[in-house]
Amino acid sequence: MSAKHALLGLLLHRSAYPYELADRLQQRLGPAWDVNSGQLYQTVSRLEQDGLIERVDDAVAGREDRHVFAITGDGVDEFERWFEGATASVRLSRRPLLVKITLAGPERLEGALEKVAAYERDCASNLRDLAGQRETIPVDETRIRADHVLLRLNLSADILQVEGELHWAAQARETIAWLLAHDVVWPTARGLANAMTERDLNRKGAREEIYRRMSSRHIRSADEPPQGPDDSAKRWPRGSAA
Amino acid sequence: MILRLDQVSKSYMRGGQSRLALDSVSLELHPGELIGVFGISGSGKTTLIRVAAGLETPDSGFVSYKGERLDRMSAKQQRRYRRREVGCVWGAQPWEHGLSVLEYVALPLLIDGCDYRTAERTARKFLLACEAEQCLGSDPQRLSDGERQRVEIARALVIEPRMILMDGALSHLALMEQEGIMLLLKSMAREARVAVLVTDSGAGAMLGADSIRYLSDGKLAGEDAAASMGEVVWLPGVSPRQPAADA
Repeated sequence: MSAKHALLGLLLHRSAYPYELADRLQQRLGPAWDVNSGQLYQTVSRLEQDGLIERVDDAVAGREDRHVFAITGDGVDEFERWFEGATASVRLSRRPLLVKITLAGPERLEGALEKVAAYERDCASNLRDLAGQRETIPVDETRIRADHVLLRLNLSADILQVEGELHWAAQARETIAWLLAHDVVWPTARGLANAMTERDLNRKGAREEIYRRMSSRHIRSADEPPQGPDDSAKRWPRGSAA
Repeated sequence: MILRLDQVSKSYMRGGQSRLALDSVSLELHPGELIGVFGISGSGKTTLIRVAAGLETPDSGFVSYKGERLDRMSAKQQRRYRRREVGCVWGAQPWEHGLSVLEYVALPLLIDGCDYRTAERTARKFLLACEAEQCLGSDPQRLSDGERQRVEIARALVIEPRMILMDGALSHLALMEQEGIMLLLKSMAREARVAVLVTDSGAGAMLGADSIRYLSDGKLAGEDAAASMGEVVWLPGVSPRQPAADA
């Protein structure tokens, strides 16, 4: 999401200097909204050109950035339109690390394991920072402040996202370890070899026999009411085999 | 259709207050179908399975099996339903009963009146089919989570039920084991014409199911439309078909 509507939302409540907006974005929405000043001024400039915000005081000579900006009527309408509009669905990410793991092949798999470990360490560090930031939000003892509650919500969402990254990274580590420990078939230029072992064949045979018997029994009795309660002798005649 | 839950509600007393675990839930299960139901802890998943298995009686609504309502069956017919028609698999529980793996899997057959040799032979075959034959000589306390789950599935399957109901048996497993077990369940559903209902805390654990439903506060999402083969009912606003974004 771009900063445009977040900035309009902040100005909806109070006019501000651009540098104040940068601080407020993070104070209200968390570290994911750490916007660099160049980007911020560009967005403010575009909002002004579109008539959604306006300057409400005279600039200090030589300091064009020292204007207070307020939202216009058009800006309020634009914010309302955006607020009422459908919220975008979650977008799946292309994860470079996952691409590396998927395309590593058998010769690079151990290297991929090290990369996953490094990623996990990075996520854990991220998590510690976010948790630390969450701890700095004042605890309101008398009247609860909505902005504190909502900032905690934003940080919780970030924490859950990083936890999600740690979760799949742990799965990636387990999966790579499993692949390294098992005799698996890797696709080659010539395609997949026919690699069923004797054990695989035995298992397949057992399943086919059981499923065949079960499915024919289930199909035969599909329309019959359940049998009477005491039919064990019928089901297990002496000498019956699986 | 083999199993139907029709506007089933069930509540429990907790801390002196009545809590609604299932709220007018309707669900149909067909032979050969694998349905997944996910929801957070306390959403009603275990109650759903227990009601479907005939272990709990709904406060309102009814459960019917092959068109016959469970509450109208005699006590003997209900026992038979629970013992023969339904196989239940529960999430990881401690191995406390002192049985070997083979004895544990064979036990339902012995209870059903099968002789010991046949029960053992049958149990071995089902362990092989569930890819758990390597557990036969193992100390049950040392089985991995995945092996343990396969042993439980073999035990549930050994009575050749028409339905398998699994509760919380997937998400604690490693990814490879989850996938392996889902493949096993799918083949069971498709080839043995068994109806399978799986509940768990995460939808990710049951990808591959014919249909996935979301249970929240006892309500089942999408319950006003019959589950169709291949349909995935997600949370509102979440779709697996969004174009990928650059990381």
